[in-house]
Amino acid sequence: MALLSPPSQMDYYRVLGLDPKLQLDRNELQQLFYQRSRELHPDRFARAEASVRDAALLESSLLNDAYRTLRDPLARAEYVLKQGGFDISLQGTKDVPPELLEEVFELNMALEELKAGDESARPQLTTARDNFEAMLAQSSIELDKLFTAYDAAPGEESLKPIRALLNRRRYIQNLLRDVNGYLSN
Amino acid sequence: MAYSEKVVDHYTNPRNVGSMDKNDPHVGTGMVGAPECGDVMKLQIKVDPISGIIEDAKFKTFGCGSAIASSSLATEWLKGKTVDQAMEIKNTEIVNELALPPVKVHCSVLAEDAIKAAITDYKKKAVSTPALV
Repeated sequence: MALLSPPSQMDYYRVLGLDPKLQLDRNELQQLFYQRSRELHPDRFARAEASVRDAALLESSLLNDAYRTLRDPLARAEYVLKQGGFDISLQGTKDVPPELLEEVFELNMALEELKAGDESARPQLTTARDNFEAMLAQSSIELDKLFTAYDAAPGEESLKPIRALLNRRRYIQNLLRDVNGYLSN
Repeated sequence: MAYSEKVVDHYTNPRNVGSMDKNDPHVGTGMVGAPECGDVMKLQIKVDPISGIIEDAKFKTFGCGSAIASSSLATEWLKGKTVDQAMEIKNTEIVNELALPPVKVHCSVLAEDAIKAAITDYKKKAVSTPALV
């Protein structure tokens, strides 16, 4: 069975037999996952040599990680960014556009003022929450466009705006968490 | 995780919180952020154009205790230094002074980045305003 290569040579797309695209069809992804899962099922290797059996198990575990990561658009984008050298945990890749920092700073200032106020600030906070949620929804639409652009021309230049957008989303999500935390008190 | 006494002190009693007019030609503004934890830090310096000495420093940070303490400490250290001396401040000195644990080292890096960004902004203004050089 032409099945196994060392894990270091594999990636999430390869284990599923997919082209490394950011736009993926969820149903197709699921079908491929089921198909590969059947091919790698331990029952099929019950009588195989130990080394083959172990390798199948390893690939099966990789397949599960791959499916879990690729079916979620955000996790998928983070994965592709990481493969492309845009890992957020690395120095130098966390450059945030200055205007976004300004915006996040202003939003934090507003939030702080509202927190310092009294119960009458609650409606304003609710409005702020709605705004943040709208921003997140808007960023999902933008992300979709950036995915399409990346697939048409993969490379560093098309990864940069994705990195920036995911950074922005993270800031907004943190703000949203703060607002929600305050509102539930 | 337990914060050191110095971190708690800076966090509960932050020094030099505030902001200055970023359009003032003697003021340099640095705005930096760490998206993975959502921190944003604004640090400003006011430089005496004759002596090149930082006469005032202000900050405003949204983030964890270590980020606030790192920027608070940075503003204290900046005052009285020349711009060139300020450029030499290393995040490791902040880590040592505040006894930051390894997971919080990035907060000190953020503070160092903010100092450098503020100085860069000031210098850029000084170049475009010949009378200041």
